Amino acid sequence: MDIIESKTWIEWLITIAKFAFCFVPVLYILLLIPMERRGAGFMQDRQGPNRSYIKIPYFGKIRLLGYVQNMCDGTKLFFKEMFAPAGVNKVLYYVAPAIPFAIVFLSPCVIPWFGPMVFEWGGQMVRIPGSIIDSDVGVLLLFGFSSLSAFGAVLAGWASKSKYSFLGALRTSSMTISYEVCLGLSMMGILLLAGSFNLTDIVSWQEHHVWGIVAQPVAFFCFLIASIAETGRAPFDVAEGEPELVAGYHTEYGAMQFGLFYMGEYSHICINSFLIATLFLGGYAVPFVTTETMQAHMGGSLAILCGVLAFLALAFLHMIHRYSKKLAATNLTNRFEILREYKLYNIVAWTAVVVLVILAFFAWFFYNPQSMVIGGVAVGSLSTALGTALIHLLVLVVKSVIFCWVWIWVRWTLPRFRYDHVMSLGWKIILNIALINLVVTAVIAKLVGGN
Amino acid sequence: MLALIYFIILAVITLGAAACVLLSRHPLYGGLSLIVSMVSLAGIYGLIGSPFLGVVQVMVYAGAIMMLVTFVIMVLNGARDSKTPMFDKVSLFIIPAVIVLAGLVGFALVRSPLAFDTTTLRGSVALTSKTLFDVAQTGPGYFVLFEILGLLLLSAMVAAVLLAKKRLGSVESENMEDKH
Repeated sequence: MDIIESKTWIEWLITIAKFAFCFVPVLYILLLIPMERRGAGFMQDRQGPNRSYIKIPYFGKIRLLGYVQNMCDGTKLFFKEMFAPAGVNKVLYYVAPAIPFAIVFLSPCVIPWFGPMVFEWGGQMVRIPGSIIDSDVGVLLLFGFSSLSAFGAVLAGWASKSKYSFLGALRTSSMTISYEVCLGLSMMGILLLAGSFNLTDIVSWQEHHVWGIVAQPVAFFCFLIASIAETGRAPFDVAEGEPELVAGYHTEYGAMQFGLFYMGEYSHICINSFLIATLFLGGYAVPFVTTETMQAHMGGSLAILCGVLAFLALAFLHMIHRYSKKLAATNLTNRFEILREYKLYNIVAWTAVVVLVILAFFAWFFYNPQSMVIGGVAVGSLSTALGTALIHLLVLVVKSVIFCWVWIWVRWTLPRFRYDHVMSLGWKIILNIALINLVVTAVIAKLVGGN
Repeated sequence: MLALIYFIILAVITLGAAACVLLSRHPLYGGLSLIVSMVSLAGIYGLIGSPFLGVVQVMVYAGAIMMLVTFVIMVLNGARDSKTPMFDKVSLFIIPAVIVLAGLVGFALVRSPLAFDTTTLRGSVALTSKTLFDVAQTGPGYFVLFEILGLLLLSAMVAAVLLAKKRLGSVESENMEDKH
């Protein structure tokens, strides 16, 4: 087959391995659930769920700072009975939760996870794009998918044959339509500046000019508000408002079907925060350093990365130290168990610090990959490309986690809006601001840049 | 070869879903079949080298317009009544029109050269915008049509808003928004 022979094996390997990024939103659920619960606890000055534990023989209990709660939740949802109330539309009732969850696996395909990998292989230059689908429609594809995912909620509300679900579904569909318009229009300014729908092009524009948040501050806030509204979380949770509609469109769902909606919502947050980070915060670009500079000093960059990770481990150690000092002063009955657990964390974190410092030392002094010149262009080796991709990926993850925290922060800070307030905010305020912003951007871009 | 297999699969889904739109008694099932049909049609667009058109199809038709259609079906309680006869007097006018239209399209398809070629890019973003907004004298001049279409849609929207506002100009309709 010529389609197989058109690429070398290493290209095929990386191209197929990139499909693993489809699972990033699902993995983010594992991060977001503890973050939400402990974050809510932090905002409301309480502990949050941190008491579930795993018992390890000869050692004691391990609580992983509350992460074990995830496993308990998941296990509970999986083993509950799948239950359908009488009178529901059976087919649509069972299909509906799968729609948003299936879209979750499709959405990450256009986000550039790292810059295009350019390296030398067998005397030839190989270029692999950072997104799974490197198409020039890019971000539009993402919008197409996310507009489809609202059908899950709509069908669930209709198939449940319950008035609360039905009202929730109606509100979801009207809100999705209104806020997708705002989302699209506020994004257009940065697309106009970058001159492309392709997210890789947008990020490289930001890398070589300024970040989108500097070039388009108004659009950034419109986009942020519209995308928080589009995920349907508080303060925009009119579709599943607990005081009014019990639980909105998923009132009649239980067990893992409810879990699918829940996971769909969290993955939507993940995708939207990746999108904001890519459009407005420079995506995978490292602040103040271009990719070319980074690749020219690969060893130094890796050393700095290891140093940052070692610093984070030290910060964790400091946190543990303060916790254990506070805990030792109390007379809780289980304090010795917890202190023993903290001792384990101490050992792990100190080992990580030592290993990272040694790695940083070796990377700084002994790792100095040479670049080859192919057709007048300097091209690095495979290891340089992989190192760059790793740094890019970590930077993108950090940026998106910041926005995930914004979601939780907003949810537990602001009171919820009434339905008509949400609608007038969308249609009368954000839409108009986004339109004016687009016109002003177009005029300025025409005056400054010519075409 | 691979593209042809994909094309056949997508074409079967598109046509099957389109037939389901006509055959399903339930308005909501009809709407869902229309969504499936549109999404697989978008796949065909992407396959024959115009991904932009395909994505716009998903975003505008399958996403926004079909969402509005399902909204209307739900609000108007159309979903409750699934006993509407499939054919009535109006069909006498519609069926000949559909047959004539199908004949015309079939004639045009038979006359045109049918070469299935996935390698040429027919509708990328750059190509589409270059064709649509070519303001040169020698260009195709689609941009005038485009602007006129925009005006037409705008006036249609204004008319819809005016129609939706009952008791136009009366005191109540002015005060309605403030009260709630």
